[in-house]
Amino acid sequence: MKEDLMDIICCPLDKHDLELEVEERDDEDILSGRLVCTECGESFPIEDGIPNLLPPDMRDEAPA
Amino acid sequence: MEDRSRAGVRRTYERIGDHFSKTREYAWPEVESFVADAASAETALDLGCGNGRHAELLAGVADRVIALDASRALLSEARARVGPRVSLVQGDAATLPLRDGTVDLAVYVATLHHLPSAADRRASLDELARVLAPDGRALVSAWSTAHDRFDADADAEEGFDTTVDWTLPGGETVPRFYHIYAPAEFERDIEASGLALHSLEISSGNCYAVVGSEGKVP
Repeated sequence: MKEDLMDIICCPLDKHDLELEVEERDDEDILSGRLVCTECGESFPIEDGIPNLLPPDMRDEAPA
Repeated sequence: MEDRSRAGVRRTYERIGDHFSKTREYAWPEVESFVADAASAETALDLGCGNGRHAELLAGVADRVIALDASRALLSEARARVGPRVSLVQGDAATLPLRDGTVDLAVYVATLHHLPSAADRRASLDELARVLAPDGRALVSAWSTAHDRFDADADAEEGFDTTVDWTLPGGETVPRFYHIYAPAEFERDIEASGLALHSLEISSGNCYAVVGSEGKVP
């Protein structure tokens, strides 16, 4: 994801701001890292350059 | 076994996404004319973008396009065809990860009918209203009882839930949940949401609504 996407995305749960934690980048493209909600603390992964902003109960690892 | 949850819908498209995408090569004419009529936009949203065929169209009129889908498999397909103006986001149509009032132009095509409960569907329309800018416009479509394949009364007040099998190349079938909207119900759901209805039509068995966010006080 491009860093300027931070202007438009927010936490899907409470719509508060996200904080970007970069693990790997290629120039302005963020390839992996995390987006952490500044309000509820929920963490959303950036995997293979795509932010996964699904609510946690829609992710694979969540219990059914 | 069909799994009636939004996570279940996502898993379905994770399984069939690659094959599904190959059968969804072209933009729908109704979407082409909506985008052609739109003024240029700063930010556009393709909600339920699938393989990105409509995100490509939006990129022709908007400086930046957000292409959002619940399925990673479909987003991977989209990545192969969209250009640098398009940002891919994995997300849920009923809990959008986008800030209030940031979207000038949106298409929400053939996705609403996959949300498994009436509450989810209404929540997603409210979410679209929330993210639209005050003068923003969106096109919303859903499969309707007016479609030839359903032996249903298009004048009914309520639609119905069904499953439509997707057949993979090996012959395996994967059930997909659909809520088939009665046109009256589609109109009612939009009127009940935060969206303002500008126009409504039935085309190729789908309901199409052009909506905005203005004129509604939350």
